[in-house]
Amino acid sequence: MFSFFNKKTSAKTAKDRLTIAIMSDRQNSDAFPFMDKMKAEIIEVVKKYMGVKAIEIKKEVEDGVEALSIDVQLEANA
Amino acid sequence: MGIIIAVISGKGGVGKTTTTANIGLGIAMNDKKCIVVDFDIGQRNLDMILGLENRVVYDMVQVMDGDVSIKQATIKSKMNPNLHFLAASQTKDKSVLESEKILKLVTDLSAEYDFVILDAPAGIESGYEHTIEFADRAIVVVNPEVSSIRDADRAIGILDSKSQKVKDGSEVLKYLIINRIDPKLVQSGEMLTSEDILDILSIPLIGKVPEDRGIIDSSNQGKPIILDSSSAAGRAYSRIAARLCGQEVPMENVEEPENSFMQKIKEMFQ
Repeated sequence: MFSFFNKKTSAKTAKDRLTIAIMSDRQNSDAFPFMDKMKAEIIEVVKKYMGVKAIEIKKEVEDGVEALSIDVQLEANA
Repeated sequence: MGIIIAVISGKGGVGKTTTTANIGLGIAMNDKKCIVVDFDIGQRNLDMILGLENRVVYDMVQVMDGDVSIKQATIKSKMNPNLHFLAASQTKDKSVLESEKILKLVTDLSAEYDFVILDAPAGIESGYEHTIEFADRAIVVVNPEVSSIRDADRAIGILDSKSQKVKDGSEVLKYLIINRIDPKLVQSGEMLTSEDILDILSIPLIGKVPEDRGIIDSSNQGKPIILDSSSAAGRAYSRIAARLCGQEVPMENVEEPENSFMQKIKEMFQ
């Protein structure tokens, strides 16, 4: 019974694991309601100047700083 | 216009259908007109839990297709005249759901009822997305267990991206029900506490339901456990239904085992 005081409980382990798993799930999900619209608009802007093949937008968190990484893949002979 | 509430979970097997049946009946017991609709097409279960399986003639897909009227297809519960039920189709698959038809169905229902409760299918596929599309609110049912909580978070994410209310710049109110809490395991540190789960999911809590062996018996008989006031889970569902109807009901600490030392001390001061 006294092990309770010096051992990490499994509920605490569960919370720690869940916190990390969910943080990563949220980053990887493209669950922004405006994502499709934003993608389409960015493509339109870039298309004015060069050919666009695909676009990928990801939310990243590093050292507590949130950033959007936008990958624009250009057409071969753009 | 009545309130449209989708009951969702992410993962299956957490007690979503049981919760839908109990809060539906609980709302009816609060003198509100309530209809529960089984959106789990191909896997209907809510009729069994409500004890109405022998009375299903028409289903919600037939109503959406215009084959029968809402009046023809709804079944009135014998347990409470305020509670009506609309069954899922057993034969068709989830692909029959179409946004336009769902919007018409839930709009028509909300004109007639104070509460329209939609039992969403488990998972986050198209059937789920269609169920939440036109809901005003969502009740998220989880168990204090890692896979249930993770899947619920995904389901909430999809709710926030696919809901028409969100697309219109509004917000879907979300409430959390933590179901099947085992007080002893919480006390011994082997089960996540409500505070842990709220920290992770960050949506407001509307109720905590303890694990209750009586649930199996109530499903066997098709009599929701809310009818049994001696059951801890039944009382928990009553409190949730009252909260949904706008009453202020203090959150009970179901995580403390009954007859615990602390409880006895508290009783001494009451």
